[in-house]
Amino acid sequence: MTALLEVRNVSRFFGGVTANLDVSFSVDQGVVLGLIGPNGAGKTTLFNCITGFYPPSRGEIFFEGQRINGFPPDKVCRLGMARTWQKVRPLAKLTVLDNTVVGALCHTNSVPEARQIALEQLRVVGLEKRANVLAGGLPIGERKKLELARVMATKPRMILLDEVMGGLNARESEEIIGLILDVKKRGLTQVVIEHDMKAIVRTCDRIVVLNSGEKLAEGSPQQIVNDPRVMAAYLGDSGGAKA
Amino acid sequence: MRTFLPWAVAAVALALVPLWVQSPYALHIFILLFLAIALGESWNIIGGFAGQYSVGHSAWYGLGAYGAFILLQRKAIAPWFGVWVAIAAAVIIAVAVGWITFRLRGPYFVLASIAVAEIIRLAALNWKELTNGAEGILAADVPPLRLGGTVITDWNSKIPYFYMGLGMALFCIAVNFLVKRSKLGYYLQAIREDQDAAHSLGIPLTLSKNTGLAISAACTALAGGFAALYIGFIEPQGVFGIEVSIQMVLTCIIGGIGTVAGPVIGAVVVVLLSEALRASLSSAHLLVYGVLVIIVILTMPDGFVGFIAHRLRRKAAA
Repeated sequence: MTALLEVRNVSRFFGGVTANLDVSFSVDQGVVLGLIGPNGAGKTTLFNCITGFYPPSRGEIFFEGQRINGFPPDKVCRLGMARTWQKVRPLAKLTVLDNTVVGALCHTNSVPEARQIALEQLRVVGLEKRANVLAGGLPIGERKKLELARVMATKPRMILLDEVMGGLNARESEEIIGLILDVKKRGLTQVVIEHDMKAIVRTCDRIVVLNSGEKLAEGSPQQIVNDPRVMAAYLGDSGGAKA
Repeated sequence: MRTFLPWAVAAVALALVPLWVQSPYALHIFILLFLAIALGESWNIIGGFAGQYSVGHSAWYGLGAYGAFILLQRKAIAPWFGVWVAIAAAVIIAVAVGWITFRLRGPYFVLASIAVAEIIRLAALNWKELTNGAEGILAADVPPLRLGGTVITDWNSKIPYFYMGLGMALFCIAVNFLVKRSKLGYYLQAIREDQDAAHSLGIPLTLSKNTGLAISAACTALAGGFAALYIGFIEPQGVFGIEVSIQMVLTCIIGGIGTVAGPVIGAVVVVLLSEALRASLSSAHLLVYGVLVIIVILTMPDGFVGFIAHRLRRKAAA
């Protein structure tokens, strides 16, 4: 089975700063992969490289066997890989529905058809009652759901979620975990950046740990939780990590 | 349907105006109003929906005017045919320029748009063989216009201009409605709200902006051709000057950027105010104009239409 997404030796430099160094991993169809690591580990940079916002300085990225290095973000999205943003980016002066319609127009030229798709996705995330509210007026929990509805409306084969639970309270996080598991049940492949280890362990099949831009470990949630190097990276004890 | 009813009523009412109003001055004001509406709506497509604040739209206005008049002067082609050639030229140049300047964001794009308009103005000023330089071009021998059975030969009457202007304003309003409800309209508005988010949702940025600019430039050039025909004389500063661009922007700011009704309301304010004040204050009317813009920006950042829509929404919520 070929991987849906394959990241091969990807490095990204900003001037003299190394944001990612030689990162490789692959994601199989239907898998939920967790991408974790301390702040500044290069998780979001890696997302930006994968989705075309910055081309990787070195290395290659394959989506469904096709090399997508240097593809612009819109093309990556149309190929079926959609991402959310750590700092949510609602289209503030458009309604919640219209935000989602924008996503749905990715694969249709018909606005009425896009509206149907959008309503359906809003129903899935539980925002259908807020459809006609301006997106700029939503509280953070609903904005995160809107991000999710919007990327799902692009009919992706894979979604990259950048801290969709960041800043949420326990109940809201629980709702998002439910949504991720629902999406997983439908067979959609996901890469999830998250800090909340409980959420990661509950949703992910595999975990990749980044530290200082490099891949530190990869494995099942159980393996990662018990990996002393991961513990050390989070607690800042790099001496112990070598042991 | 309910959205269009007030527009249709207003259009019919305006079409009947010449039956009651014969004063050339009153008709002149209406014609200026139609021109300002057409220009505001034209700018609104790229400035309002897409949030690309071009302050160089005089380039497309002037190309429409010069294109129509050069063809009239050189080849004796009637302006209402020649203007289509001018529109095509404006669109081609606009897209070529857009391909370069749409990489820029925010204030850098604004500055680039001004620079482009200045380049074209200076070209028009110095390319004397084609444009007649600073002397400009005076409309001469405008042929009669045949519309079915009616032949218009009396170009001294304001009536033909009134209907042309009305038709043009309605056309530009219709284009705004079509764009706003289309896929392109959604894309342009998404780009305005957040370019990176739009990009990540599958929106091709440069292509979308260029399509919007092409439509905007075409409408602007049409208005330029009409204005040239109506005024009967063009020169580089008058049609390519930054004042033309600024008026387009102000019309939208005052009325409400990114709404279809906004430029109409903005045009009414701008035209009536400048006519009312010009008589008493001559050039100082610009001062009042400036103060008005500051007041609008401070108290109604989304223009009259945005202000009223916000009030209605609050009322509905209460």
